[in-house]
Amino acid sequence: MLPAVLYLTVFIAYPFLMAIWLGLTDAEAGHLKWNFVGLDNYSKVVSYEVRANDFVVATVPTRAEADALVQARGSAKLETTPEGPLFRTSVAIAGRTIPLIAMDSVSDAEFQADTVLNEFQWQVSPGKGGFAVVAHAKDESIRLGPFPNRAALKRALESTFLVKTDTQIRTNGTGVVQDPNFRLAVVNTFKYTFGTEILKLMIGVPCALLLNRKFGARRLLRGLVVIPWVIPIAISAQAWLWILDSTYSVINWCLVHWGIVSPANIVNFRGDPQWAMFSVVLVNVWRGFPFTAIVILAGLTAIPDEILERARLDGANAFQRFLYIISPMVRPILMVSLLFSVIFSFTDFNTIWIITKGGPFDQTQVLSTYAYQLGVNAGYLGKGAATSLFMFPLMALMVFLILRFLRKEA
Amino acid sequence: MAEVVLTGVEKRFGDVAAVAGVDLTVRDREFVILVGPSGCGKTTTLRMIAGLEDVTGGDISIGGRSVTHLPPKDRDIAMVFQSYALYPHMTVYRNMAFSLQLRGMRKAEIDRRVKEAAAILGLSDLLQRKPRALSGGQRQRVAVGAALCRQAGVLLFDEPLSNLDAKLRVHMRTELKRLHQSVKSTMIYVTHDQVEAMTMGDRIVIMDKGKICQVATPLEAYRSPANRFVAGFIGTPPMNFFDGELRGEGAGLSVVLGGGVVLPVPRPRITGSSGRAVVVGIRPEHIRLGGQGNGTRVKVPAVIDVVEPLGHEAIVTARCDAGLLQIETELHGELKPRQPVELFFDTAQMHLFDRQTELAL
Repeated sequence: MLPAVLYLTVFIAYPFLMAIWLGLTDAEAGHLKWNFVGLDNYSKVVSYEVRANDFVVATVPTRAEADALVQARGSAKLETTPEGPLFRTSVAIAGRTIPLIAMDSVSDAEFQADTVLNEFQWQVSPGKGGFAVVAHAKDESIRLGPFPNRAALKRALESTFLVKTDTQIRTNGTGVVQDPNFRLAVVNTFKYTFGTEILKLMIGVPCALLLNRKFGARRLLRGLVVIPWVIPIAISAQAWLWILDSTYSVINWCLVHWGIVSPANIVNFRGDPQWAMFSVVLVNVWRGFPFTAIVILAGLTAIPDEILERARLDGANAFQRFLYIISPMVRPILMVSLLFSVIFSFTDFNTIWIITKGGPFDQTQVLSTYAYQLGVNAGYLGKGAATSLFMFPLMALMVFLILRFLRKEA
Repeated sequence: MAEVVLTGVEKRFGDVAAVAGVDLTVRDREFVILVGPSGCGKTTTLRMIAGLEDVTGGDISIGGRSVTHLPPKDRDIAMVFQSYALYPHMTVYRNMAFSLQLRGMRKAEIDRRVKEAAAILGLSDLLQRKPRALSGGQRQRVAVGAALCRQAGVLLFDEPLSNLDAKLRVHMRTELKRLHQSVKSTMIYVTHDQVEAMTMGDRIVIMDKGKICQVATPLEAYRSPANRFVAGFIGTPPMNFFDGELRGEGAGLSVVLGGGVVLPVPRPRITGSSGRAVVVGIRPEHIRLGGQGNGTRVKVPAVIDVVEPLGHEAIVTARCDAGLLQIETELHGELKPRQPVELFFDTAQMHLFDRQTELAL
């Protein structure tokens, strides 16, 4: 009993516990002392900001009145009056006075009101109480803040805007949740995982169906198809580096020679932000689809011949046999393969690190590479650990969903 | 009308002929059993009728229409497989309705047919279960039900009872026979079990090495087997065989077995020349233990080897001068190994086969 517990603790749990502990400290390369900081690495808000857009200037009963208001914008005037400790700026337009904004300095209030009046686009949109005149910012919306804490934020939100508006609260801080690069990495991780899984299925399923047919070279092909999966990624990725090279890419060479693209428009697979994610997904799919195909093939061979023969007698054509018999019977094993595949792709580091190192402009930065960049390359061990630990709940959720599906099937 | 006619049907795998020229006519609504040892071509023949195997020669017609090159679904057949072949992810209801749904039948009609078949087979309470939740016998009945729903002209059975335990097999045998009496389909049934063949079929087709040995009613096949193979295959315990030679002519015709045993041949229609090599076959129940000898009953001394009691009867293996033999006899308490006994061969029930051609004489 004791040796087993010791083994489990030391060999399995220690690295994981170490990562958890690192995630709770301000560990940094070069610092002699690492202090416990709680959950600050995960989320620490320093200040709040408010972005406001879509100011509902007025709601009028008819479209003509609304149009008249928009027309009258050129001759509108701003009026500012003190209101307690604040200054309130109203828009005087077409005989109406509409209180718009209240702030603690005259110039701030007038500047923001002026932006809404003159920089924003005024639109008429039909709504419940009639027609609303809405001031919409195409690029820069109104910014308030930063506020040091929630109380100040709340006070500002309650007092500042005097008409209905669409507000968003942004947080600035030092935790990874506040880090825009981290958020990008989360999005990229999901793009990478789902992109590869869908493509692996789209290639793996027909491949398995093909390998399940009886033909002469079947055994040979079954052997060949696993090659991408068994070659060490460090070696095969070198080949892919050349295939996707900006100058010597064989894909581009073919496209140019077949006259599909001109030499001036060749794709920079690893350098172009539009193509980089596609490139790493392609390499992962190339490497991962044999696993999907082989697992599905195992599921296909497990279907007794008699069942397929009965389906033929029952009058099912090839497509109906696939739809009604084969795919429901293969589905459980397919979900198991998907489960493994999702875990591999979600935590994949090698492929991306070899092909793009997360670039260009972080377009292929996923959680694992970002954690490495942050924790090892940049030396912020605590934040790196916190970033990598974020994968844990996300993956647990996906695994839970797949397992629940499997249980329902069985 | 669903008469099935096979004309010179052949199946070759390269140089090997699995089925070598089968001619057979199965009459409408007949229950025909294909029986034979494994590898005799009976299953291949059935699968060719079903359309699951290509025919390499000859013609198959169902209901007067050649179906040799039609796909299985257009042949007016339904089949019950050895492993039941139920779709594991579908309920019993869907399993039975599947082929009807594919044919685009109206829902009400499907429902009526499924419920009717379920009622016949006692499956009405199980319709919402999945095959996993059924016993072997219930699965078997679902497989039969799925075939019944089709209301096809011909029902094919491929060893459907071989996965059941012995008791259930006997029960299902009766059920299937009763089913045949109540539905209007022609049935072709493959089995390697000669008891199933004897008890169930209107006629049995005994096959060996890809060829038909005999087509006959069960009793005909039992009473007058066409060749030595049929004689040995039909009946338990199997017929006893002894090598022998013909002697004499006409009324004085007799056969001499090893060890000097001489049996008169009571049917002088055999016009074999003296000295012809033959095989003598006599069923265990036609050898009596004790009693009196007379015209057709010939006394042969023997020594008991093994006694296998079966209740009121026993199978006794004994050794006579001509060789080992088995007899079926009412159990006598005094039968013991190494005990000398007198056996009486009923020569009126004796079968003679040519030793070369193995055909009945």
